[in-house]
Amino acid sequence: MDWLTEPLSFGFMQRALYAGLAVSVVCAVIGIFVVQRGLAFLGDGLAHACFGGIAIGLYLGTDVENAVWMAIPFTVLIALGIGFVLRSSQLRGDVATGVFFSFSFALGILFLGLRSATARPVNVESLLFGSILAVSPGVLDVVLIVSVTALVVTLLLWSRLAYAIFDPELAAVSGVPVAALEYLLLGQTAVVIVVAVKTVGVVLVSSFIVIPAAAGRLIGSTMARATMWAVGFGAFGAAFGLIASYHLDVPTGATIILTQCACFGGALAFGRH
Amino acid sequence: MSHDDAGAPPAAPPWATSIDRRDHAKKLKQTRPDAGAKRVLDVDHVSIELRGKLIVDDVSFFIPKGEFVCLCGPNGAGTSTLLKAVMGLLTPTHGTIKILGDDPDRGHHRVGYVPQRKGYDRDFPARSVELITASLRGRWPVHVKEDEREKARAVLAKVGGEKLLDKPIAGLSGGETQRVFLARALVTDPALVILDEPTAGVDVKGRAELLALMAEISRSDELAAILVTHNLAAVAQTAERIVYLEGGKLLGWGLPDEMLGQSSLTALAFAGTDHARHKDEE
Repeated sequence: MDWLTEPLSFGFMQRALYAGLAVSVVCAVIGIFVVQRGLAFLGDGLAHACFGGIAIGLYLGTDVENAVWMAIPFTVLIALGIGFVLRSSQLRGDVATGVFFSFSFALGILFLGLRSATARPVNVESLLFGSILAVSPGVLDVVLIVSVTALVVTLLLWSRLAYAIFDPELAAVSGVPVAALEYLLLGQTAVVIVVAVKTVGVVLVSSFIVIPAAAGRLIGSTMARATMWAVGFGAFGAAFGLIASYHLDVPTGATIILTQCACFGGALAFGRH
Repeated sequence: MSHDDAGAPPAAPPWATSIDRRDHAKKLKQTRPDAGAKRVLDVDHVSIELRGKLIVDDVSFFIPKGEFVCLCGPNGAGTSTLLKAVMGLLTPTHGTIKILGDDPDRGHHRVGYVPQRKGYDRDFPARSVELITASLRGRWPVHVKEDEREKARAVLAKVGGEKLLDKPIAGLSGGETQRVFLARALVTDPALVILDEPTAGVDVKGRAELLALMAEISRSDELAAILVTHNLAAVAQTAERIVYLEGGKLLGWGLPDEMLGQSSLTALAFAGTDHARHKDEE
């Protein structure tokens, strides 16, 4: 039992656990739809779009801590842009995401380069890899508020979203507002990803969206069961990875992702596929 | 070709099949349905423009209760656009569409739809019972209740697919898929069912069975049906009347014998399509 209680006696570990659980659960629920819609690359694309937004914030004079929040509107716009291209062209999701991903990242590098020579240097590595152990009480509040709000909205719309993802035409004939739901899902994913970037960084955030959802899909025989499995894998990955990283004294974000990957491996070995 | 062309026929006896009713109408030379009959679908002077292009041009026809109509036309005739308007997915630029007197967006629960292009996600983790329940609820079920399960079982039994109830959708064959989609269209007890090339992807034997099944359900449930097809055999087997569109205009609306006797029509509507392929296979 000490194995569990000792690390959680520290405030920073408690905050990391709460933030990790919140982000992993909401990412798993959203991720089921994102993965099923064939947009697995979306998490990666929006995380890099977030980097572009942060760079614009830095160019405008904010510090790294607050530039992340300035990235929210930028990332939402990019997500809606991806949705617009998906709906108005024959391009596949990975192509549309790839274009916006490159555009945003290039914009980010451009704006970082445009900052004045006297501006404070930016630790790009902390942006890219994040640190769940460095979550402050203020950031934790924002993470919890955004995650719970996104979770409630997604669960309330779960049945309609699932129908729209299964077959947009049939759902539309049944009166489901397919286009509005798709834009809502993309916009909400963007907000969640920006918040998740604050805790796990640009590079690792997409794994929270993709891996638990993919593992859930391998095990669950229905959409509802797949969602529940995804939530379980996501939460287990966050909690176990955090505690294990403490005892092994290894990077936490990477340990969480590797735990999620182990869940995926188990699902692949024992799943219904 | 106004609605008033048809004279009032004598009271119709209970026909054994819709084809008997068609033959009776033929004897009476009743090209159009009775104008006084209760209209399930009423398309009145409908025009639809998309991106500035006129796709459907002043089309009028109606379908009374229990009638099985084939909607035909060559590619680009405007049939798909018209169907979208009937289902409430498009709003006509001019004219009105009524389903049992209501606008399509209010009457959509009275329309059952079997799509041609099965655009569903084949990798979606779901069983037939969930797809049918989704149609019943208008949203995807987290959990299927016992009464919904019974309804799904009953409607699947009606289309000869009772064993498919708990089968994953990803594992259905072409014919099984059509039966499940037909069941999901019928489970809401619609007044009108739209069958858009329902035999596409089904083998020759399965096609004949499906068409006979659809015609039988239409007759027994007094269900108005629109069959969109390029398959001449399907038209001959099922149609009580044909509505023929070309270039967005209504060029014909009448009994199959009258319509199919026009060689230019059959050549345009069926050549080089499913019909030709069907003939080749036979």
